[in-house]
Order: sequence, then C-alpha cells, then structure tokens
Amino acid sequence: MINEITSLLKSKFPDSLLNVVSEDKRITLLVKKEELHQILSQLKDTGFNHLSDVTAVDYIDEQEFELIYHLWSHREKIRAIVKVRIPRESPTVKSVVDLWTGAQMHEREDHELFGINFEGNPNLSPLFLEDWEEIPPFRKDFDTRKYVKEKYYLEEEGYPVAKG
Amino acid sequence: MDIEEKEIGFSTVPFGPQHPASGHFHALLKVEGEMVHELEPHPGYLHRGFEKLMEYRVHPQNCALVDRADVLDPFSCELGYTNAIEKIAGLEIPERGRYIRIIMAELGRILSHMTWIGVLSMVLGFDSANKIAWGDREKILRLNEIATGGRLYPCYLCVGGVRRDISQEFVDETSKALDYLEGQLSFYDYFVFKNETFVMRTEKVGRMSAKEAIDLGATGPNLRACGIDYDIRKDEPYEVYPKVSFNVITRDEGDAYARSLCRRYEIAESISIVRQLLNNLPDGAFRVELSPVWAAPEGESYFCLESARGEKCFHVVSDGSPCPYRVKIRAPSFLHTLSEFPYLAKGSTIADIPAIYWSLDSCPADMDR
Repeated sequence: MINEITSLLKSKFPDSLLNVVSEDKRITLLVKKEELHQILSQLKDTGFNHLSDVTAVDYIDEQEFELIYHLWSHREKIRAIVKVRIPRESPTVKSVVDLWTGAQMHEREDHELFGINFEGNPNLSPLFLEDWEEIPPFRKDFDTRKYVKEKYYLEEEGYPVAKG
Repeated sequence: MDIEEKEIGFSTVPFGPQHPASGHFHALLKVEGEMVHELEPHPGYLHRGFEKLMEYRVHPQNCALVDRADVLDPFSCELGYTNAIEKIAGLEIPERGRYIRIIMAELGRILSHMTWIGVLSMVLGFDSANKIAWGDREKILRLNEIATGGRLYPCYLCVGGVRRDISQEFVDETSKALDYLEGQLSFYDYFVFKNETFVMRTEKVGRMSAKEAIDLGATGPNLRACGIDYDIRKDEPYEVYPKVSFNVITRDEGDAYARSLCRRYEIAESISIVRQLLNNLPDGAFRVELSPVWAAPEGESYFCLESARGEKCFHVVSDGSPCPYRVKIRAPSFLHTLSEFPYLAKGSTIADIPAIYWSLDSCPADMDR
C-alpha cells in the first residue's frame, strides 16, 4: 500500500515531492509549500482520514520552520508524516481546516506558540497565554529562563527573590 | 388573553474553572433558557509549557518532568518520552525492563479509568460511587508506591529501562489487588453502569457518529465507542504488546453511555494483560546503565502509544546534545476538550454539560501541557 501511495503522489506531484522515506507501516514525505494543500487533500482521499497532529520545529540556524502533519489511515492502518519547510520571516501556509475540522485547534496552538499564520483558519486567537506581548514563546530565540528571571525575580546579592 | 411572544435573548454562563466538574478548565456557554447554543473553550489554566522546559533539561530530568503533563496517567508520558529517545538512539532495552514498563502502564490505565468512574459518577450527582471508586483507586496507588516510591508522580521509567527492579512483594500485592478489583467490577456493573439514574443521564447524551468523531480528531475510548477499532497497542504494537492477548473494546452507539462501557471493559482487559505479563516475567537486567548526561545522537522520532485517554504521541528532535532540541506531545485531551466537547455541547442542555465533558474523560493538565 505504501508503494502505491508513493507512486500515485510521484505521478501527480512530480515537482513537489522533495524526499520520500518509506518504512513498513509509515511513509515520510518532505514536500514543497506551494502544493502542500493539494498533497494533503490527495492523502485524505487516499484514506488518511485522521489528522493526528500539526506541529512545528524551529530550525533557527537555517532560518526556517519545519511544519509537520501527522496523518493516520483508519482503513489501511498506516501513518503518513508530511513535512514542509517555510521561511521564518514570513511563516504562512494554507489552513487545512476545510479537510479536517480537528485541524482548527492544532493550527491555533502553532499560531500562538510559533507565530505561524494559517490562511483560511477562522479563529487563531490565543489559547493558553494571557496578555502575551513577547515573541511567540516556543521559538528558539525566546529564552524562557531569562524571561522568568527578569519578569518574576529580583536580583538581590546574587540571590533571586520572588517579586511582590 | 393573548400573551405576546417576547424574544428571549441569549445569556452567557461560565463553566469552570471553579466548577467541581470542570477541573482547571473554563468555558463560556451561550444559552437560551436551558439550551446551549454555543460553547467557547478557554483553556490555559494549567499551561506550564513543558515542551519548552524540556529543551533546557537532560533526559533523566525530563523523565521526571513529563509525568506532570498528564497527572492522571503519568506512566504513558514516561513511556512515550523514553521510547522516542530510545528510537533515535537505537537502544535495545532488556526484556524484563519492557515487561515492567507495560505492567506499570496498564496499572496506570486502570488508575486513570477508576478516577474517571469516580468523577463521572460525582458529576451525575452520585457521590457514593465517587467515594468507592476513589477508595479502590488507592489499591493501585499503593502498588505505585511499592514499585516506585511515588504515588501520583512515579518518575519510574528512564531512558534505557526502569529506575529500579520490582520486588516479590510488588508481584504478590499486585495479584491481590487485581483479584480485588476484578471482584469490584461486577459490583460497579450493578452499582454504577446498570444504575437507572446513570443510564438515564448518559444514554443518547453527547452522541457522535464515527465520521464526525474522526473528523474532530477523536481517539481512544471516545472513538472506539463510535465503532472504530483504533487501538495503537494492536495497530502499531510497541514494547511487549505483541506477546499478550487482549481484545479491543468497541461499541456502536457513540454516546456517553457507550464511552462509559468502553472504559469499564478496558479495565478488565488491562487486568488480564497485567496478569499475563506477571506470569511470564523474565529474569535478568531491567535497564541499560547510561550516564545522566548521556546524549542521544542527532535525529528525530515520532512515537505513538495508546494512553488511557487515547492516542498520545511524542515527536522528539535531537541535535546530538544531552538535551532534546524539540519535544512535542500530542495530547489526546487537547482534542477531546477543544474539538469534540464544543461540538457535542451544541444543542444540549446545561445539565448535560458536565456529563458530556466527563464522558470524554479529558484531563486539563494533559490538554494544556
């Protein structure tokens, strides 16, 4: 089944598949951003009806985010992992809410924690953080320890004391 | 006399974070009389940013930290994190270590389900069942204490195996506790699951079809109650699951009662799994000794497991340093509460909201991470 999916994708999207790794019950694809939505839509039609997760990794040295879609096919019992690289300065991709309703919340989380924009998602308001004014906190250039020290602690004789 | 029909407006009612049934979760209900028109979830009361905090810590520290991500089912978090790291490093774990891990993970599932029986009964106004279920839950907490030294946060699994071996006392106490719990299950059938009030409050409440459940991202007992036999222990078997026999419990109704029965029968399956593992427990080493600052090689892995609440996945990226570069926990409660719950709440009555919420068995700690 994995081989059939690979050849189908290769014939339909010859320019967008940058890398394909096939394992026993798992297929990992690295795709181009331009045809991401079409490829995910094709995978959904192929049977990957469960969107397990949408997550991101901040590769700050390469100035890129890697966005990862984890899909599962309840029919074939196989997993597909779709990765896409997007530039850090303008991180925008098309939302997949039209394909899976559950994507709404995953995208909202990634928007809040990484600052990635999902075009077409109806609600990207913050989920976890209240009155957040810093850069998105899960980015690699946000230093949690420094932030906590400055915001919540007073330096008194080298010993941190809680403010207030 | 003609009574002029007045237009009734919507009012907003908060659910949580102080409500006894909500846990640390807040939602705004837009209601018209008793009917809920919309539910707007406001999570974040337990957001501690574990995934980011783990980037600053070495693996043994993270094994202790990751427990807190799902308070009611901590072993599943430890199991996921250690397996993801071991997958990157290609580490082979001694067989005894693997057996002990799954024994603890299945006891953790029973623990989580017992907690859930208690809370669901409580929110349905059935407080005696809550007290009894939480009392029986103590049996498992006692086992946790014997094996790990901790009751709620065991910090037991480590990269390379488990922190210490289990004793004969643990084996004896476990079989005693399992016999007791198995007896209690038939009591729960009579006392809770066949109780008229319980059935009335859960049957046909919060119903979803299999197609809707998949679209909303449901997993675990919530999805299996809609007739989909998705269980990662069978579909992508890990650790020693290929060596044990058990059934995947499914129901077709998709309502709160079906979800309840799925969990009830899963407790019985878990008891059977633990017994099989204890009977075949191999001798030998239980862990591979690693330095506290041992570094996994460069690479990434995605490991999925079946936790008490559903599909829990760990995506770990390692850059070759002793700390992980990025950890992402795919938490089942995240979608149970933020995706399925608002959908099911629409069109229900206010009184059913706690029942729907707890029939989905979400843990706010697991949702916010």
